[in-house]
Formats: sequence, C-alpha cells, structure tokens
Amino acid sequence: MPHGSPRFVHGKILHNTGSGIFYRMEVAIPERIDFVPGQFAMVSGWPGNDPLLPRPLAIFRSGGPRGKGTVEFVYKVVGRGTALLSGLHVGDPLALTLPLGHGFEFPGEDRSWWLVGGGVGFSSVFPAAAALDAQRSDFEIFLGARTRDQLPPGEWIPGGAVPGRVHLCTDDGTAGFFGTVGAALRDRIERRKSSGPERVAILACGPREMLKAVAELALPLDIHVQVSLESHMACGFGVCWGCVTAVRDGEKAGYRRVCREGPVFDAREVVW
Amino acid sequence: MTTPATPDLTARVGTVLLKNPVMSASGTFGYGLEFTPFYDISRLGAVVVKGLSLLPTPGNAPGRIVETPAGMLNAIGLQNIGVERFVSEVAPRLTDAGAVYVANIYGRTIEEYEAVARRLSGVPALAAIELNASCPNVKEGGIAFGSSPGGLSGLTRRVRAATGKPLWVKLSPNVSDIGAMARAAEEAGADAVTLINTIVGMAVDPGTRRPILSNVTGGLSGPAVKPVALRMVWEACKAVKIPVVGIGGIQSAGDALEFLLVGAAAVQVGTANFRNPNACVEIVDGIRDFFVREKISRLDDYRGTLLLE
Repeated sequence: MPHGSPRFVHGKILHNTGSGIFYRMEVAIPERIDFVPGQFAMVSGWPGNDPLLPRPLAIFRSGGPRGKGTVEFVYKVVGRGTALLSGLHVGDPLALTLPLGHGFEFPGEDRSWWLVGGGVGFSSVFPAAAALDAQRSDFEIFLGARTRDQLPPGEWIPGGAVPGRVHLCTDDGTAGFFGTVGAALRDRIERRKSSGPERVAILACGPREMLKAVAELALPLDIHVQVSLESHMACGFGVCWGCVTAVRDGEKAGYRRVCREGPVFDAREVVW
Repeated sequence: MTTPATPDLTARVGTVLLKNPVMSASGTFGYGLEFTPFYDISRLGAVVVKGLSLLPTPGNAPGRIVETPAGMLNAIGLQNIGVERFVSEVAPRLTDAGAVYVANIYGRTIEEYEAVARRLSGVPALAAIELNASCPNVKEGGIAFGSSPGGLSGLTRRVRAATGKPLWVKLSPNVSDIGAMARAAEEAGADAVTLINTIVGMAVDPGTRRPILSNVTGGLSGPAVKPVALRMVWEACKAVKIPVVGIGGIQSAGDALEFLLVGAAAVQVGTANFRNPNACVEIVDGIRDFFVREKISRLDDYRGTLLLE
C-alpha cells in the first residue's frame, strides 16, 4: 500500500476532555499514521444509524510506537455529531478513515509563514505550526475568535512561547487585537512594508468569510495564500461528490471535491 | 449431506455471473478505483460505476447533500468525467484490478443514451450497462423517461437496440405502480431491473427560509428508505420473470439477506459505503457467515424463499 494512502481503522478513545468550548480527543489506533498538516479523518463512534454519517475532523497530531498508533483531534461541538462525540468516554470504540485529503504545501524557498486560524480552524493550522517549528522555520500565528473564551489555550500553540509570534484577535476586544484577524493581518502587512521586503506565505483555516477576507487582502500583494475549506461531506474520500466547491480552472470554472482535491486550495483558484 | 465449509455465493443476473451477490450502487462508489486503498475490489460481485454521460457534466452548484434522520438527501447532478474518459482511462484500470464492472449511463435525450451505450459496447470487459432512467436531480437525468411505463418502454427499446451488452434498467421509486414499471422494462427487452433509486425529498432551513440543497429537492437514501425499497423489490419480483437487483438502505449482511429473501437475484450497497469504506466486503463476509451458520450451501437455496404462510 502506498505511503500515506487512506485506511479504515477501528480505534479506542484514550481521552476525550473539554477545555472551554473545545474538546481534545486522543484515540489509540492499530498503526501509526503519517499525515500532512491540513489532512483530516472521518470519525464516527456513536451507536445506531442516526446521525448516519461520520464527521470530518482535522488531524491535530499523530504518534505512537511501531505497530501501535495514536491520533489526536481538537473539535468544537457544533451539531449532533460532535455533541455525540463529546459524550464518548475513555475506552469507547471509534471508526476512523484516515488520513484524507490534500494538505498544506510547504515550498522549499526561504520565507516567513503566517498561519491564520479562525474559530476552531486553528486545529488544522497548529499541525503546520508544529512542522515549521520542528524545522526551525520563521512563522507567526494569528488566531481569531469572537471573544476571549473562544480562543484555544495558549499551551496548545506549537512554538507559541516565542515572544511576538502569536497574535490573538477578538471581535469584542476581550483579548489581544480588537478586531478580526483580517484587520490584524492588514496591520502586519503595513509593518512589513515599512521594514523592507519579506517573502511571506499564508496558511489559513476558518470561516469562509474570514478566508475570503484574507485572500482579498493578501493576493493583490503577491502573497501566496493557501486556504483550508470546510464543507458538509458524506464520505470524505472522493466518492459521493457532495462536498464540492467552485474553482477556477484556467479559463473555465468547475467543481472540485473539498475532501480530495482539497481541503487545502491555492486561494487564487477558489471562487468565493 | 454435508455442507461445504465455503458456501457457494455465486449469483446470476441474467447472463452475468457474479462471484457473490454484492455490488456497489452507482453514485456511491466513484469509478471503483477510489476503493483500492481499502480492499481488493475484485472481491465484489460487481462494481457499478458513477453515472456516465456522453460529455463530461459539471453537476449542480454546492449545497449538494444534507443529512436527514437515518439517511441523507443528495442532489449531485450527475457530475462525471464523460464516457470517453471512462473508456480510455478508467475501464482498463478496472480490468487490471480484476473487477467485474457495470456502467451506469444517462442521457439528456434518447439519442445521447444510445450514443453512450454504443460507445460502451466496445469495451469487452464491461459486464453490463445499467440504464439510469430515474435520477431525480437533473431534469434530463432520465426521470422524464422513467416516470411512466410508456416513457420507460420507449427508452429501453431504443437502448436495447443500440447495444449487445446485458441491459439492466434502474427504476425510480417515485411512481405509483412499481410492478408496472418493471414489466414495461421487461417487455422492452431489459435483461434485469435494479431498484430502487432514491426517493425524492426536501429539506429547508426554518431560520434562513431557504432550501438546503441548491437543487431544492434531492434524493433520499440510507437506512431510512430500506422498508420502502424492500416492499418495492418484493413487488417487482412478483411482477417480472427477469432478475431483480435490490437496492435501498442496505447497511449490513442482514439487510442484504432480506432483499435476497424476497427474491432479489443480487443487491447493491450504496450510502453504507460513505460511512464505512469496507461496507461491501463486510456484507459479503457476513452473508457467507450466515450461510455457514444456517448450513445453507448455495445462495440459490436461499433467495426467494420468503415464507408467507
């Protein structure tokens, strides 16, 4: 089997605990999996046929010794599926299909990375931060939330202890920058201009309006932007064609699968 | 008499011989190759690929699926790569994978149906053509032909004349008399009927006051439709002599056995593939285990043996 190709596995919950509005869940699986930041898993575990479909969750971390693996997720309760997930206990079985989708790309050239997470979107950019931290790349993190209580705990941020690296933004000003991550990014771009040229690439995940704002801000300045999109999906591995998003394809437009060609797209391709 | 350890699961759909009665349902299995990371697709009775049209089709705008109690609605709009790319790029790889495969087809006009069927007739390994006369999500997806016995008969006759391949006709449940539709297909030369396609449904958002699907209505599938599907398959089995392939909400071997019991020659598994990519092969194994446990040596000894007394 090719490296990194998806598999369907049964796992057991090692922990599943809430921290503010977020849950962090670790699952024991038969084998260690390798994943690219931005890739995800389809997860189900509740008994019965209702709700019917598994839920897509970004892979937050993976690990474990040979022959034994673990995978970790961070999620927010948004509907019935995640509510049921949050009620599962240590030792409960889960079914997972993973790793899925096309993750973030890290071109080799020397550049600064700005990672942008809105809401629970941090769950797919933190793995990118961990990868960049491991290779000692230069990166900054912008986290947006409506209010202070909806930001992730500081200790979850990979490399977050470096002074000046993390920019918190709240819509109500209760923590960090008073305003959206888009506005914070605009400020950062202004400062970049005054301090001379700097090659920047943005990796972003969050609500669609936020991603659109980031793309509209950065693309005209020739800043490379990758966005991780969300969509309702039935299968997660490319066969239901339910999760498509409109993309530009040369002169034409077409529908591509968020689960397969995405969830990470070059922001220039996305039809907002 | 001793029961062999491995029961004979061979199924026959007309002249098409299947190693077991479990097929994938069109539209839930991509072009089949997407499942090769999970298991050897030659283990299935057959792979039925996503509906093919004469030209590539973009499909409906997003807002294509919504989950409903024990089911889902979809309005994909038959997005597909077109018959030409299927023949040149996909079919050889399915053959290499050792899969028995069936092509589901649709057209906007009868002439397009004929053209797709003719193009596929030149694919030696193709086991059968499944005529989609019942997609509820595009005006031209066959529902215009598939909602009256006369329309279905006319379409089936024309496609029958266009191809020498075994021709299966997939029936819509959105009709008042499924037996009459099955008979219309049979009389027009179909080698088998497959049913049910999805049941037309709808979902709206009370807050935004908008439909959730861009197409407004969509096709319901999943466990929620199984009782309806089972009743219709039973009725179709009584109405025709040609084989009936049962489809609709099959999630487990037990579900598949119910369809075989009421007379289906084989089954197709659809929405279950979304939840569990291994669903089809787990159902094959489950049927085998059931036959071993019940000391049934052949599928033919079981199917159609519903006790009504």
